[in-house]
Amino acid sequence: MTNAQTLTLARATHARRVRNQILENIVWYMILFLMAVITVLPFLWILLTSFKGPHDQIVSIPLQFIPNDPTVANYVRVWNQLPIGKFFLNSIFVGVTTTLLNVFITALAAYPLAKMKFRGRDAIFYLLLATFIIPAQLTYIPSFVLAVNVFKYYDTLLALVFPSLATVFNIFLLRQAFLSVPNDLLDAARMDGASEFRIWWQILLPIIRPTLATVAIFTFVNSWNDFLWPSLMLHTRDNMTLPVGLIALQGMFASDFRGVAAGVVMTVVPILIFFVALQRQFVRGLSGAVKG
Amino acid sequence: MHVAACEIIAGSNTFEVSCVVTNADLEGFTRMFMTKKFSFTPYLFLAPALLIIAVFILYPTVAVVYYSFTDYNIVQPPVWVGLQNYQQLVQDPIFWKALTNSFLYLIVTPTLIFLSILLAIVVNRPLPGINVFRALYYVPVISGTIAVGIAWRWLFDYNGGLINGILIGVGILQQPVQWLAEPAFTLPIAMLLTIWIGLGYYMMVFLAGLQNIPEDLYDAAVIDGCNGWQKHWYVSFPGLRPQITFVAVISSLAAIEVFNEIFVTTGGLGGILNSGVTLVFYLWRQAFRLQHAGYASAIAIVLLVITLGFSIINIRLLERSEQEAS
Repeated sequence: MTNAQTLTLARATHARRVRNQILENIVWYMILFLMAVITVLPFLWILLTSFKGPHDQIVSIPLQFIPNDPTVANYVRVWNQLPIGKFFLNSIFVGVTTTLLNVFITALAAYPLAKMKFRGRDAIFYLLLATFIIPAQLTYIPSFVLAVNVFKYYDTLLALVFPSLATVFNIFLLRQAFLSVPNDLLDAARMDGASEFRIWWQILLPIIRPTLATVAIFTFVNSWNDFLWPSLMLHTRDNMTLPVGLIALQGMFASDFRGVAAGVVMTVVPILIFFVALQRQFVRGLSGAVKG
Repeated sequence: MHVAACEIIAGSNTFEVSCVVTNADLEGFTRMFMTKKFSFTPYLFLAPALLIIAVFILYPTVAVVYYSFTDYNIVQPPVWVGLQNYQQLVQDPIFWKALTNSFLYLIVTPTLIFLSILLAIVVNRPLPGINVFRALYYVPVISGTIAVGIAWRWLFDYNGGLINGILIGVGILQQPVQWLAEPAFTLPIAMLLTIWIGLGYYMMVFLAGLQNIPEDLYDAAVIDGCNGWQKHWYVSFPGLRPQITFVAVISSLAAIEVFNEIFVTTGGLGGILNSGVTLVFYLWRQAFRLQHAGYASAIAIVLLVITLGFSIINIRLLERSEQEAS
């Protein structure tokens, strides 16, 4: 073969490869798009329905997607009949308080488990491990009795905060992070006469900041979406968090699909914005949570 | 103990104890109190967390064991009835239905593992804009089961539901189907919701795992003559073993303890003819709808025994995968 022939051949192969690549990518994008439709379509439908006016069809075949007569009346109606704003503030209060205190308390507990030798350490560690398998729902009956008779916080937001102040999963995750900090660093600080609390606060916490962020985000999202326990504790409308309030809304607006849709949109959008803002942390957190 | 003399030097939060110990077999004691400083510090760090866990997990677990042997309605003090609740449980057809349903719900675990690995393999391709898709798949996870579940329930609505609309529009159905009123569909609808929500979350877990698998393993597989999917079968699946174990543990426990999905898709009723009642749903109904807290506690104990059994299996699996890894 001459050089020229080889070159044309190479070019043709290359062109074919590029064509195959493009074709393959189109197939991948089709799969991705199909999955996205399955994931997002119900949300889109809810969103469009929430803007439908009284003359738009909800019950119709074929389905009507786009409202002819778009309106925000559904939002106004829901907002006026239910304290959605209050639900929000309650959810934010519970989420923020729980997260801050939980991370503080579990990070405190994780430090000695990772970096100190003391009597009973293994016993405490295995005790924590054992509580890990106890289903949360199992504790609700006695916790309910405690809430009503002992702590007297039934129907207040404190009832949601206190039981979630320490989670074994977070202790383990933070302990894992502390374990990776070199001991020399701690010994040097101890030589300098730093107290253990100062070492924890000024040296350890800044080092494990990514894990702290992960733990904080997950704790917040869990608190934000928690339903069963809050639904047992919160009775008065003004005290409800979003998921509990949403169920109340579903009950009130049973036949008013537009109203329910508007309520769902109002509760979902803020948490989605929060997610988009912290997306990187989420992904990093997930890769850190399960070590390969 | 044969401690002859002790001297305690107290510091701010530590105190040193120097002792003259006459018995040699007190070695552990000596190691703790003489060679090392005895310090309250670790216990102080642990105290708040242990207090919370003792009050909200340990005490309730002990209490629920006690309640399960009593007739209790939360308002009046519990009355000891021995094994009566358990005897009643064995003869209760709804309890057996709930137990069966909870175990049936475990189908979501292998389904989720398989589908989310496939999805992770797809989104692991370095295509432009792939991050947007990854984020989109995560939307149901973030939105929360209750909000998502309300939307989900409407999808299956008889009159205005998207599912009936699409199926009739495409011509698969002639008449709308009463999805929500048909007992056979109650559990599958809730399970699909679990899968739909879980897919995005577990996809992220597997994606992180895939990105830890060294590229040369795939190159080696190609040299050995693997095509595209064989490559994943022989490299990705074994490489994802830690993630598969993690997801199996987490999602099977979540499946056995499912409540939210059942509550929201059945409107809090448990489905026609109890078709959607699971253990936790039945526990909740007995305790907080019917005020049978003693009976519900017996259900809780069954749940505890099941999760204990699961944990033993899971620990075995973990040990095995660690042995094979090493």
